[in-house]
Formats: sequence, C-alpha cells, structure tokens
Amino acid sequence: MSRQLQDAYIVAATRTPVGKRKGAFAHTRPDDLLAHVLARVLAQVPQLDPARIGDVIVGCAMPEAEQGMNVARIAALLAGLPDSVPGVTVNRFCASGLQAVADAAARIQLGAAEVMLAAGTESMSCMPQITGNKLAFNPAVFGSEHLDIAYGMGLTAEKVAGRWQVAREDQDAFAAESHRRAIAAQSSGAFAAEISPYCVRTRAADAASGVVRLGERWVDSDEGPRADSRIEALARLKPVFAAGGSVTAGNSSQMSDGAAAVLLVSERVLRAENLTPLARFVDYTVAGVAPEVMGIGPLVAIPPLLGRSGVRLDDIDWIELNEAFAAQALAVIRELGLDPARVNPHGGAIALGHPLGATGAIRTATLLHGLQRTQGRYGLVSMCVGTGMGAAGLFERL
Amino acid sequence: MNKPRRLSIRRAAVLGAGVMGAQIAALLAAARIEVLLYDLPADADDSRAIARGAIGGLARLEPAPLASPELAAAIEAADYEHDLSRLADCELVIEAIAERLDLKEALYRRIEPALAPTAILVSNTSGLSLAALAAALPPARRARFCGVHFFNPPRYMTLVELIATEHSDAALLDALETWLVSQLGKGVVRALDTPNFLANRIGVFSLLAVMHHGAACGLGFDEVDALTGPLIGRPKSASYRTADVVGLDTLVHVIDTLRATLPDDPWRALFQTPDWLAALVARGALGQKTRLGIYRKQGRTIEVLDPASGDYRPAAGQVDAGIIALLRQAAPERFAALRASEHPQARFLWAIFRDVFHYCAVQLEHIADNARDVDLALRWGFGWTQGPFEIWQAAGWAAVTAAIEADIAAGRTLCAAPLPAWVHTPGRDGVHHAGGSWSARTQRERPRSTLPVYARQLFPDRVLGEAAADIGETLLEQPGVRLWRLPRLDAGIGIVSLQSKMHAIGEEVLDGVLAALEVAEAELDGLVIWHEAPFAVGANLKQVAEACAAGEFARLAALADKFQRTTQALRYARVPSVAAVQGLALGGGCELLMHCTQRVLALESYIGLVEFGVGLIPAGGGCTRLAVQAAERAAATATPEEVFAFVQPAFMQVAQGRVANSALDAVRMGYAQPGDIVAFNPHERLYLALKAARALSENGYRPPLPVRAIPVAGITGIANIEMVLTNLQLGGQISAHDYRVAKAAASALCGGELDPGSRVDEAWLLALERCLFLELVQTAETQARIRHMLETGKPLRN
Repeated sequence: MSRQLQDAYIVAATRTPVGKRKGAFAHTRPDDLLAHVLARVLAQVPQLDPARIGDVIVGCAMPEAEQGMNVARIAALLAGLPDSVPGVTVNRFCASGLQAVADAAARIQLGAAEVMLAAGTESMSCMPQITGNKLAFNPAVFGSEHLDIAYGMGLTAEKVAGRWQVAREDQDAFAAESHRRAIAAQSSGAFAAEISPYCVRTRAADAASGVVRLGERWVDSDEGPRADSRIEALARLKPVFAAGGSVTAGNSSQMSDGAAAVLLVSERVLRAENLTPLARFVDYTVAGVAPEVMGIGPLVAIPPLLGRSGVRLDDIDWIELNEAFAAQALAVIRELGLDPARVNPHGGAIALGHPLGATGAIRTATLLHGLQRTQGRYGLVSMCVGTGMGAAGLFERL
Repeated sequence: MNKPRRLSIRRAAVLGAGVMGAQIAALLAAARIEVLLYDLPADADDSRAIARGAIGGLARLEPAPLASPELAAAIEAADYEHDLSRLADCELVIEAIAERLDLKEALYRRIEPALAPTAILVSNTSGLSLAALAAALPPARRARFCGVHFFNPPRYMTLVELIATEHSDAALLDALETWLVSQLGKGVVRALDTPNFLANRIGVFSLLAVMHHGAACGLGFDEVDALTGPLIGRPKSASYRTADVVGLDTLVHVIDTLRATLPDDPWRALFQTPDWLAALVARGALGQKTRLGIYRKQGRTIEVLDPASGDYRPAAGQVDAGIIALLRQAAPERFAALRASEHPQARFLWAIFRDVFHYCAVQLEHIADNARDVDLALRWGFGWTQGPFEIWQAAGWAAVTAAIEADIAAGRTLCAAPLPAWVHTPGRDGVHHAGGSWSARTQRERPRSTLPVYARQLFPDRVLGEAAADIGETLLEQPGVRLWRLPRLDAGIGIVSLQSKMHAIGEEVLDGVLAALEVAEAELDGLVIWHEAPFAVGANLKQVAEACAAGEFARLAALADKFQRTTQALRYARVPSVAAVQGLALGGGCELLMHCTQRVLALESYIGLVEFGVGLIPAGGGCTRLAVQAAERAAATATPEEVFAFVQPAFMQVAQGRVANSALDAVRMGYAQPGDIVAFNPHERLYLALKAARALSENGYRPPLPVRAIPVAGITGIANIEMVLTNLQLGGQISAHDYRVAKAAASALCGGELDPGSRVDEAWLLALERCLFLELVQTAETQARIRHMLETGKPLRN
C-alpha cells in the first residue's frame, strides 16, 4: 500500500545559549552540546517513546575532529537514545541546521517516519581556522571560471555592498540595531522559553594541592550581545577584508558555539499522543547564486517558497534572516521589500552569534517560540550560504 | 661570608613595576632568570594588579623590551604585602622605585628582613647617594649592597654604572660586574658615588651647554637638533628630541638635583631650568608621554616650540651647507675651522664641544676613575660614537687645549675655572694610550680591567689611542674575504671575515668563502664566520641591478648558482662552521648563517629573509632549508606527510619579509636552531664561536647526510596560499606583482606543482628556487623594486 503525503508538526524546539568563539564554550565539545539539546528537547515531550524516532538528522558545517565521526549518531547515543535510533550528519554550510529540519519534515511528509529529531551543532572554538582543521584547497579553482570559490565570505559581502549600494553607515546602524534588539530581548526574558541552560564542567590544574580542580558554571544566556554597542564606535572600526571597503568586524556576524534541536511528528502521532504543536512545517527551498555574491542567496530562495505555498510576504509575521553580514542582510531586505520591524525582532547573528551549521536550527527555535509569544501565524527562517546558495523554511503556527 | 667566585642567578626580584623596573625584569627573563616583579598592593581584589599591568604593558612598548613574546610568562607579578616571604628565594634584588630617599629607605626597612642572608640588594637609582641608601640597611647587609644603574631602554642601552659604597664587598662587586657583562651583556663602568654618577653628570651638562649656547647663538630648537645629531656623532634624537623622550619633568628633576647636590660645582650657575622649560612642565607638556613637549605632531607635520613666543611652528632645522662641508674634514682641521668661523652654527658647535671638554677635564678626578670610563659611559649611555676625551684627543690635544685656555682667558667659556695641571703635562698628546687611560685621581695611566670576563672579549669596544686588538695571522686574503686565525686561542680554527661594505654578499664574497672552505678542509679543524656587526645586509643588490640593466641574465643565473654552491659547500663541508652573528643578517646573510653547522648569536641579532621587499624570493638555499625544516617538523607529528601546516608559517615569514627581533626570536622563526648559542655580550661572539667550532671538531664532526626524501605540500599547498592571495589581491591589499612574488615563494616552499606529499631531494628544491628567482628578476616590476631600494633604501610597492 502506498503511503499518504502528510503534514509534519514541530512539537518542541530548544537550543543552548550561544557562546562567543573561545568564550563560554571554549572547552565544551560540540557533541556534548548536541547531546544536551537532544536530551532536553525529548524531555519536553515525555509521553513520546524515543524508540519511535525514525532518525536523528544533524546539521554541521565543518563535520570534522570534535564534531566529526558522524556527530549525529555519537550525540544521539550520548543523549541516551535507544541503540535502535540512527543518526545522520548533513552539511549545507550555514543552512545545515535548517536543512536538517527540512529533511526531517520531508521524511514525515513522505510517510517514511512518524517521529524525527532534527538538530544543528557547531563549535567554532574547535576550529583552528575558519576553513576547518586542515586547509586543502583545490588547485583547479585557479584558472577556472570559478575563481570566486576562493573568495572569503567577507570579500563576498564587500561585493554585495558594492553591487547593491549598501553604505557603510547603513551597515553600522543595522549592526547597532541588532545589538539593541538582542539586549532588549534578553532583558525582557524573551529567550527563556527556547534556551536550555548548559552546565560547563571545567577541569583545571590546582598547583597548590596537586589535584585536578573540578568546576561547574551554568551558561544560560547568549554571550554575544553588547549593551554598549554604539554606531559611533562601530564607525571607527577598520574594514578587514578590503582596503577602502565597508565590511568590518562590527557589522559582520560573530563566530560562535552552540546547538539546537527540533522534534517533529506526523499528524497521526500528534493526535494519538494529544500533543500541542508549536507549528506546522510548511515548505523549504534552496537555490544557488554566483559564489562571489553568496550573501544575496535568500533572493532566490524566498520568492519561490512563497510562490509555492501561496503565502504572501505580508502574511509573514516573523522573519529570522541570518545576519552573516549587515551588507547582505540589508541588500536582501531592500530587494525583497521586507518589513524591517518583522526581520529579526530579537536581533540577529551580528549580536547573537553565528555557529555556522547550528544557526538554522537555533533560529528555528527562536522563531517558533517567538510566534507562540506574539501569537503570529507565519514565520520564515532564511539565510545565505557559502559558495553561493540561499535557503528558506516556512512555518505556520496553528 | 659567602664570596662566590662566579655569580649564577636563578631567581631575582625587581622592586618597582615602573617603566624601568618592568623593562629590567624583561631583560632578566631573556637571560633565563625567573623574575618576581613587585609593586604596591592594588586596592581591588587583585592585589598584584599593578605589577601584572606592567608585565602586560611590555608587549606594547617600543622598542620591544621582550626578546621574545613568550618571555612575559617568566615574569611573575607580586606585591609587597602578600609576597614578601617569596623574596627569601631571590638571589638578586634590584630596587627600581621612585627617586626619593625617604621612599627607598622605607622600602628597604620593609623588605630587608625578608631577604636571604646571601642575597644581593642593588639600587637602580640614577643619582641618589648610595652611602645614604646603605645607611638605611642593617650593617650586615651593607657588604652585599651597591648601585647598579641601567640606562633606558635597558635591553638596548649598553651602559650599566656599578657604584660601590665603602662597605661593598670587593669580591662581590667583581662577581657582579662579571655577571652583568657576560650574562646580561652590559658594558660596565665603575662610577663613583657622586651626584648623578658619571654618564648623566656629563650628558646632562652637555645638554645644558647645548641649551645655553643654542640660545646665545640665536638658534632654534630644531636647528640645534639638526646640528647635534648624527652630524657630530650623536643619536638622531639629538638634544631637544631626546629631552622629549626622556620626559621634561624628569629633566627638570635632574637639573634640580644637580643644583641641590653640587653646591661647589664651578658650573653651578648653568644648573638652572630655563623659563620656557619650566613653563612647559607647568602646563603639563612633558614631552613624548603627553604628546606635547618641545615638539608636537600636528597631523603629519612636526612642530617645534618657539621659546620667545611660546607658540609652535613647523620644524625645519637646516644646517648650512658650508658647515656640513666643514664637518667632513679630519678632526684637527674640523675643530680649527669651527673655531675660526663666524657662522653662528660653527660658533655654537665649537662652544658646546669646548665647554664639555673643559667640564670633563676639571671634573675627571672627582667623578671617574679614568678618562676611558668617561668616554665609554657617554658612548654606551648616550649613544655618542666617540667620548669627549676621544674627540679632544683626535682634534689634537695641544691645539684644543690652547684654544680652551684662550677662551677661558677671554671670558668666553661658561666658567672661568682653570684647566687642571695634568692637561698641560709636557708632551701630552691625549689621555688614551696603549698602556691605559689617564686617571686624574691617581695621576697615572690606568690599564684595562684584568677581570677574567674581559678575556672573552677579543674585540671589545676600544677608545681612540688604545692598543689595537690582536688581528692574528692571515691565511688567505681576497677582495671579499679575509681568512685568518688567532694562534693564541686556537690555531686550528679559521676565521672568515667578510670585507665588503655592510658585509653585503657579492660574487667576490662567495669566491672568498669558497676559497676559505677549501683551505679549511685541507688544513684546519673548523671555520668561524665573524666580523663586526652587521653580519650581512644581504646579497649585493648593486651587482644584481647592474646585471639586470645590462640584460646579463646568464650572469645572474651563474651568480645564483654560485650562491647555492657556497651555502651547500658550507653545509656539507668536512669541517664544522660556526657563524658569529650580531645586528642585521638579512636575505643572503640569513641564508649564509642558516647553512652553518652552528650559530653564536648576539642577543641583538636581527635575522630574516627579506627578499620579498625587492620582489624576489630567497634563492641561496633559504627556501630549501625552510621546506626541509617544515618536513622535519611534520615528521615529528602523527601525520608526517601533512607538511603544509609547517610550511604556512614559513611562507608568512618570507612573504612579509619578517625580521626576528632578537636571537631568541630567530630560533622561534627557524632561522637559528634551539642548540645555538646566544651571546648576551656581542663582544664575546668570536671567543664563543672559536670554542664552539673546536668542540664540534673535538666531538668528531661529521657533515650531515644529504636529505633525499623530503615530503612537500605540493600543488595543494600552493592552492591554499593562492586562496589567501586571491582574497588579498581582490581586497586591494596586495598588487598583482605581490601576488606573483608570493606565489613564487609558495611554490619554492611547497616543492612546486607536485602531488601533495611527493618526495623530492634538496637538488630539486634548490633548482626550483633558483628558477623562480630568475623568472622574477627578469620582470620589470622586480627590477623597479631593486632600483628603488638602491636609490632610497625603502621598498617600492608596485
């Protein structure tokens, strides 16, 4: 008997606080962060038997070393899931976490699974350089028509700033606003519902006693937002990627560590277990652009997504648009005519940080809890992706 | 009493974490001494914050006090309240707190009971009476107390004044002098316990004389500085700029001290703070530290104070062309001409020299043991190329003496005090002779110190008229190189000394080194490369430029080939070679020392492969050595084929033309090796190198085997670097030619366009770097860079 297409519902979503690179999670492993959110998200739906999970799909942009070896499976086992639950790691760079959610939803929609766990994890503290642990660039890039594969992300942001005429002042103002919103959200407790605080355990040499001194420190909020961020200070920063450019450390996303997990079920499970969904997963698109302007990726992802689902832009109450760079975020906002008030109401990656492959799952958690709080209906998560892609996922609160 | 024959300090404390104290601590750390840096307890929870802040600040100071950045970790912050008991472990305690007798006395009372009985306590005071300080100590401590006065910045200024009190233990002073000279590399002058001691007494007098005569001759401050800098053998900062650097408040303090403590000095009337200087200090313009002083920077222009109006004007400071021509003459003619001239600049110069000569002659018996100490103190402490007595002697003792007498008689000198009788001794032609230097106190010539440590200095800093150093026996002499030996030390070790200007390495030098190696292999046990600093400023660019201009690229190819044959001959010779390095060792000079068996490096050695600055890559075996070393370092890891991680830092060094800021830094950068010898005193280099070469030979020296299977990063390594270069070029941070040169360096270091992990031999790498060098040298951009460097001394970005 052929299986029916069915809807996928998100019944729980949580994330760790996001630490700055070499900050709160400097010595915390990404697989431990991941195991933590997997366990926490399941704990939020205790009536669901974990053995029913069809697969654990985890996004990670640099799946190597501490987050290599199929981190999804390792963390699932560490989280106490039964041996019978498998795990797979997916990589679409900065969209990895959202890709995991979309893939999990698709398995349910196809009828191939009834319960799915989607997640993302990334520790940029673990990476000696942002290109991963070992750089091994393909020589064929040089002399090919795709020299732009070699472009650093910052340089692509400069290209976007140039082509879409995004002024330095606008970028700095956008960055300052991101911090302002994030600080406001933190002080109002807006992130409390989505964050699962993490206990960092430290092991330090105690020279006096000659023993290992164990310590514990609870991390319960994002480390990135700065209450003292001001446009004037941002304006004084030097461009880092191009002489005479406009992209600075202050109007770029922060390098970070973090993880998030989302639990999805079919309508059948929803009804049988009498679960309250956070949202229905509507649809997901991903498409490519020229690598040299990777930042405008959402321009080719969002319109088809809306077209396919028949949802108008005006119907969307909350947009999580990843702030890889203020330059590209502003270019996307202007080109698509997004309402700045609905884009990143709690701030974005410039303030909150951007743990690459985890971001998609993290911002999904932010979006779904935000829609709950504000009683909005449609919400969108979108981001640009290195080497030139855009991804977007649409959710509906019921 | 414990009288160590040889002082060996393992642990020391510096009291006072001011600029001077922290920098002294940095110097001690470089000498591998564990240092506790003390200051007052801070109010906050972190009681050691003051000292910790000072240690953190060391990395930001220029010139760098730390010989290598990681040395900061060898200095521990402490405070007098919580860490007093830790002083018990310190063998040497250097006090460097504020210059106030009452504060120092109070500190001594507090810390003395915590010291080990055998500890040595010294004060870095720059002018307080050591006798008065000793009186604040219990009698038992006084034998182990004296003054050790460093000059700022202590890492770079050679001079240390060693000041005894009547209680100081003579044997301890000798041991301390030995330690300061050999372990810290300082030039020690035994000064007397007189106000401001020796160097500052004369140096500050000289500055006051400059101020006085500058005003009298109507010269602007900038004009005075133009006259009193390198033109007369003094540092570039000359007079007023030096005052800004020292701090105008400090200067006023020193002048006040002179006036207060020298009531009987016949020149006392000069010890006055000029009104304009008092006014500057009163309004907080203290010089460099407040960015406002005698000079100030307005945007890009430098402005100088006009004392009459109190306003600033753009600094110019022109020296009359006639005066410049006059100063080029030999000393006797120069001084005669200065005195004869009516030009205000000439009158000024004669007056400042005359009054310093006059002052030194009168004060010699009161402030110094002998004239050599005076001259070396000014050279080492103030950066003069010659001391005052040397200048006088060079100018013709009798003639200058007569001129000073005439000026005294005519009332032109600052003071009417007569010259002391010894100046007029019949037949006197100066104060420095082969047998020693004049001591006015003892009325006889004083030979050099016989402390054994000085026997290690085969070529010490000598004063004019002193007996020349032993230059040994010549074995071979060619235009570029002299091969010789010192039979009294070791007849079996040859010494190669480069004879070219700035020891640049041209064809004649390469021929000389090759010839010397031939002699050494046939007749000697080892070879040392030694000459006065700089070790070598690089390959002879002039020869390269000439060949380029004439289009003689075959000649350049032959030259590159000869360079490689020379470095390879050094590396694989049957006898060991030891390079004795001091100062700059750049480009080809760096390659030469990299291929020696071992190196003796003065701490102040500035080593680097800087070819990138003229659009070239190292091709004398430098890239090959770095590639081989990267493979060797990778071989010690779990993934020996993954050499790129080790190539990358080498590439960054080459592509940025980075120069090591000390011998220790050079080891870190791979230009020197961990087993090399760091000579804190550069004058010990030759001695140490001869001993090292002998030891290598005695230990049955065998040349290294050729390296055959060197894993290289290959095409992936080059691509990794190109990725970075692509971004830099697109970001407008490097030019297309920078890209080309950097890619050539990447290729040379990665072994060329091979599969990653391919194995090659040295010949492959050598041919590759030679080939890439020859490609670059034929480009118009590189040739323009070379011409520009020869014409301006600065790199061209094109």
